[in-house]
Amino acid sequence: MTHMPPSASTALDWTASAVFRFLLAASILFLILPVVVSVVLSFDDRQFLGPFPPKQFSLRWYRSFLDNPAYLDGLIVSLKLAVLSTVISTVAGACAAYVIASGRWRGRDTVELLFLSPKFVPTVVIGFSILGFASAIQVFDPFTRLIMGHVVITIPFTVRATLASLVGIRRSLVEAAISLGAPPWRAFLDVTLPLARTGIVAGALMAFVLSFDEVAVSLFLSDAFTQTLPIALVAEMRANLNLTVAAVSTVFAAVTILIVFFLDRAIGLDRVIGQGLYRG
Amino acid sequence: MRQPRLSAFQCALLAPGAILLAVLLVAPIALMAVESFRPFVGGRVGAGAGWTLRNYTELIEPAYAFYFYDTFRIGFIVSAIALLLATPLAWQAARTKRRAVRVSIFGLLIGLLFMSLVARLYAIQMTWGTNGPLAFFGTLIGVPARSAGYAAIQVAIGLLHFVVPMSAIILIGTFQNISPRLEEAAASLGAPRWRVALTVTLPLAAPGLLSAFMIAFAMCISNFVVPLILGRGVVLFTTNLMYVRFSDVANFPSGAAIGVIMFALAGFVIYFMTQLVRWVSPEAQS
Repeated sequence: MTHMPPSASTALDWTASAVFRFLLAASILFLILPVVVSVVLSFDDRQFLGPFPPKQFSLRWYRSFLDNPAYLDGLIVSLKLAVLSTVISTVAGACAAYVIASGRWRGRDTVELLFLSPKFVPTVVIGFSILGFASAIQVFDPFTRLIMGHVVITIPFTVRATLASLVGIRRSLVEAAISLGAPPWRAFLDVTLPLARTGIVAGALMAFVLSFDEVAVSLFLSDAFTQTLPIALVAEMRANLNLTVAAVSTVFAAVTILIVFFLDRAIGLDRVIGQGLYRG
Repeated sequence: MRQPRLSAFQCALLAPGAILLAVLLVAPIALMAVESFRPFVGGRVGAGAGWTLRNYTELIEPAYAFYFYDTFRIGFIVSAIALLLATPLAWQAARTKRRAVRVSIFGLLIGLLFMSLVARLYAIQMTWGTNGPLAFFGTLIGVPARSAGYAAIQVAIGLLHFVVPMSAIILIGTFQNISPRLEEAAASLGAPRWRVALTVTLPLAAPGLLSAFMIAFAMCISNFVVPLILGRGVVLFTTNLMYVRFSDVANFPSGAAIGVIMFALAGFVIYFMTQLVRWVSPEAQS
């Protein structure tokens, strides 16, 4: 291969870069196009689901969303559920992450594995097992069951995000506070907590989004009277295809753009992803 | 060196989370494992008395084993394509000199992670489904959008949309940790770019590519929503089978057996992955 004439080598170089560009474009289009199509369709004026693109535009599907009590009830349940489980899992997760990051102690690896493990357990298994467990301990209230499930699936994310931000905090700062006479809880509240704030906020944000969008766990743990918004949407999508869901999706997309914008302002997108040694 | 014990204050901080997980994760899964060995009594909620292996042996029958096969087959193909689509995206984000390009790709990936999967799946149905502007793709590959076989294609597309952003984010970390100096050195010694990519970058990125593939695979086979919405009832994953066993037939012990197998499989994939990464790059463990 070393004796290849330079012209063949250049041709290969050209092909490789063409393939790279093609794949890059394909992957960006693949990710963006569906979102664009559904946003455009959500403003469709037709009563039925017609071919793309629509000829006339209106806000009828947004009105139909607001007129449907099932969606609004679902939205309220989802918001209450997401707020409550986020608070619980953020407090429990951030406190645990602080101890896990505080140096080497006996049993640390096991505890860390326990806290991150819900991430690796399929969500159906979590929903199914909690349903069986809840009826075994006589808990039949759907909202309580939903909280139980959502706390479990969100904890690993709050632990991880807090751990990541704690790694950057120098231990000497905490030790300085303690050597100056602060009790450990004071050092925790006044030194560690403010420094770990971005990680805790990022973890809480992820927990909220995850809980708000969860389907598998909620499908097992909800009942006909207490339904979350995603469950109501899935039921609608499976029953009849109309464009109300497109309107909801567009609202979701808009909220997502706001979240990304907020993340970029608050933390910087570079910091959210890139922690590598050699960035471009 | 003996490792120190925790102080009372540290134990108090650890307690809430540890108790929550013991009660809400460990205990339910243990109970599920016990239930999976109970016989199924029709017309009754919960399990019967006595012990049996029937819930496991019936899963080996071809009718059920097929669901496992289908889940793994689609998961494998999707993870492979996901690597193909995520690599250029991650490479561009990690190596570009322009901040605007990098931040746009980051924004796209993070936005997709935060955007509701239900909404994205709906968008995919609108775009790739029977009436959608991209439905011709099915005819192109010989599986028309109206045919039953297209359900599997749609499930694959939905899973891809789910795992490509995750894979790309993992790979961005991988590429950022490969020094551009090595590539520059190889290039300055006269190696053409395709050779640099093949003989310098690829081996260095191998552990990252492998773990991205395995994480994508684990996420695909444990997914529930994508086949539920896009599978049209034709494509059922093991996860969906578990839900059907429980919701339609009220066969709790059988669902529990599937749950135990999926739990074990998830554990195996994670273990296999860490071993594989360790084997490919022993120095990464330090």
